[in-house]
Amino acid sequence: MLKLIDVCAGYNGIDVVKSLSLEVQKGESLAIVGPNGCGKSTLLKAICGLLSFRGTVEIDGQSTAAMKPRQLAAKVAMLGQISPVYFSYSVYDVVMMGRYLHMGGLLGAPSRMDKDFVEKCLTTVKLWDERDKSINALSGGQLQRVFLARTLAQDPQVILLDEPTNHLDLKFQLELIDYLKNWAKEQSRSVIGVLHDINLAMRLSDNIMLMKAGEIAAMGKIGDVVSVAALEEVYEMDVASAMRETFALWKDLR
Amino acid sequence: MKRKVIILCIIAIGTLLFAIAIGGVNVAPMEIIRIILNRTLGIGNVDDISAANSAIIWNLRLPRALLAFVVGGMLSVSGAIMQSTLRNPLASPFTMGVSSGASLGAALVIFSGIAFLPMLTLPTAGFVMGMATMVVAMFLASRIDGMMENNTIVLMGMVISLFINALTMLLMALQREFMQQIIIWQMGSVAMRDWPPIAILAPVLALGLFIALRYHREMDIMTFGEDTAKTLGVNLKRVKWTLLLTAALLSGSAISFVGIIGFVELIAPHIVRRIFGARHSLVIPLSAMMGGTIMVLADLVARTIMRPEELPIGIITALIGAPFFAYIYFAKRKETA
Repeated sequence: MLKLIDVCAGYNGIDVVKSLSLEVQKGESLAIVGPNGCGKSTLLKAICGLLSFRGTVEIDGQSTAAMKPRQLAAKVAMLGQISPVYFSYSVYDVVMMGRYLHMGGLLGAPSRMDKDFVEKCLTTVKLWDERDKSINALSGGQLQRVFLARTLAQDPQVILLDEPTNHLDLKFQLELIDYLKNWAKEQSRSVIGVLHDINLAMRLSDNIMLMKAGEIAAMGKIGDVVSVAALEEVYEMDVASAMRETFALWKDLR
Repeated sequence: MKRKVIILCIIAIGTLLFAIAIGGVNVAPMEIIRIILNRTLGIGNVDDISAANSAIIWNLRLPRALLAFVVGGMLSVSGAIMQSTLRNPLASPFTMGVSSGASLGAALVIFSGIAFLPMLTLPTAGFVMGMATMVVAMFLASRIDGMMENNTIVLMGMVISLFINALTMLLMALQREFMQQIIIWQMGSVAMRDWPPIAILAPVLALGLFIALRYHREMDIMTFGEDTAKTLGVNLKRVKWTLLLTAALLSGSAISFVGIIGFVELIAPHIVRRIFGARHSLVIPLSAMMGGTIMVLADLVARTIMRPEELPIGIITALIGAPFFAYIYFAKRKETA
C-alpha cells in the first residue's frame, strides 16, 4: 500500500505540491489529471525519490526516505515519456537493466532467475523475438514496450506513469493502459498514472484525482468526482462541451 | 563480435611489434619476439643477435612502446569512464581539470626546484595536483548542486581548469627562464623512460580496469540519463564519485609521467563504441587496447617522421586526432539524423 502524508515538494524553495495526502491500496490504480504545471509530475518525482520533499511517503508501512536506492527501486518504478536513445544497446540488455537492483555479487552477473524474469517480461510485451535487435532500430511504440518491459523487470510494488502514451498510436495507448490496469489487479500491486488524456485516465482506473495548483481538487470514484462543474473548475474551461463537440464529429462518421 | 575482438588484439600486438622493429636500426619482428622470450622467460638462445640490437630492443624500444601502450590505455579508459558517467561525449581528463592541475604541479616543481623523491618528484606533484583539481571541482559541484548533476560537474571542471591554466601561465610569465622547460613537459613524451614508469603505471591501469569493470552495469544504465538510473536503483552519487575518482587516478598518473597528450581519450572510446556497441563490459577493456594501440602508433610517427628529429607525441595525437574525431563524430550524426 502506498501512503502519502502531507507531502510538499517543489523547485528552488517554492512548493509545487502543497501538503498532499493520499492512499492507494494494493490491486488499485489511481489516475491523476489536471492542467499543466499543477504538480502532477512533481508529485511522482517525490514518490520515486527523484526530488527531495517534506512529509512522508510510505510503501507497505516503510518510509521511502530511509530506503537505499536499490530498496526504493524494488518498491517503485517509473515509466515516463520516451526519451531519445543515443546508445545502441540490445532490447534484451535494456530490459535486463531493470533487474539491476536484484543483482548481487562483485560483478553483479544476472542469475537464472533474472534471465527467466526478463524472458517473461519480453514475452509479455511481445518483443521476445526482437531481443537481439538494437533499440536504435525500433519504432517509438516498440521502444516504449521495451521500457515497459524494463519497468516490469524491476518487479516493483508500485508503477508510476508520467505521460507514458505520448508518441504512441491509439492501439498501443489502449494496450498499455489496459495491461497496467490488469497488472495491478492480478498481481495485487498499484499503479499511479499521470495522463493528460482524460479518456485514458478514466480507462486506467475507477479512482481519479483532479489536481489544481499543487492540491487535490477532488478525489474518488469517477462517478463521484468527474462532473462538468469539477472539470471546469480545475481546467478553467468547459471540458465537457469540448468533448461533446469532438464526439459529435465521430457520430456522423461512416 | 568475438571475431572483431580477436582482430583488435592482433592489430594491437602487431602494432607493438611493428613500432619496436622500426627505428634507427630496423630489427626483424621474429628477433624481437626471441629477445623478449629470452629476457623474460629465459627461453631460447639469442647468441646470433647482436648485443647492441638486444640492448636497443630491451632497454629502449620495448619499454618505450609499452609505456606508450599503457599510457594510451589509461587515458582512454579514463575518457571512456568520464564520457559515460557524465553522459557527455566530450568529457575527458582535460575538461575535468586533471591535466591542468598536473601541469600546474609540474610547473611548481620546475619553478621551485624542489626534489622530495629522486626521479619521482615531478610525477608525484603532477599526480597530486591533477587529482586535487578534479576533487575540488567535484566538491564545489556537489556544494552548488546537491544532486551533482552532470552539467554542473562538467561546467565546474571547465571553470576550475581555465582558472588553474591561468595560474600556470602566470607562473611562466613571471619566471620566463623556466618557460621552455614547462612547455616541453606539457607537450608530452614517452621517450627515455626505461622500465620503472611501467612498473608503476601498469598496476594502476589494472586497478582502474578492475574498478571500471566492477561498475560496467551502472555505466550502461547511466547512459539512459540520471533520472532513469536513479529509478532503476543506481546509487548515483556514490557511483559517480567512485568512477570519476578512478578516471582521475588513471589519467592523473599517466599525465604525471608523460605530460599532456590529448585526443586519444576522446578518439579511442568513440571508435570502440562504434565498432563494438555501447556495452561497458566491452567498451572499457577494448578502449584500453584501442587507446594503447593509437598511442604506440602516434609515438612511432612522432619519432620517425622527421628523423632524427623527434616531435612531441602530443602534437601528433592532436594533429591527427582533431580532424579524425570531428570526422567520426559528425559522420555518426549524419547517420542517425
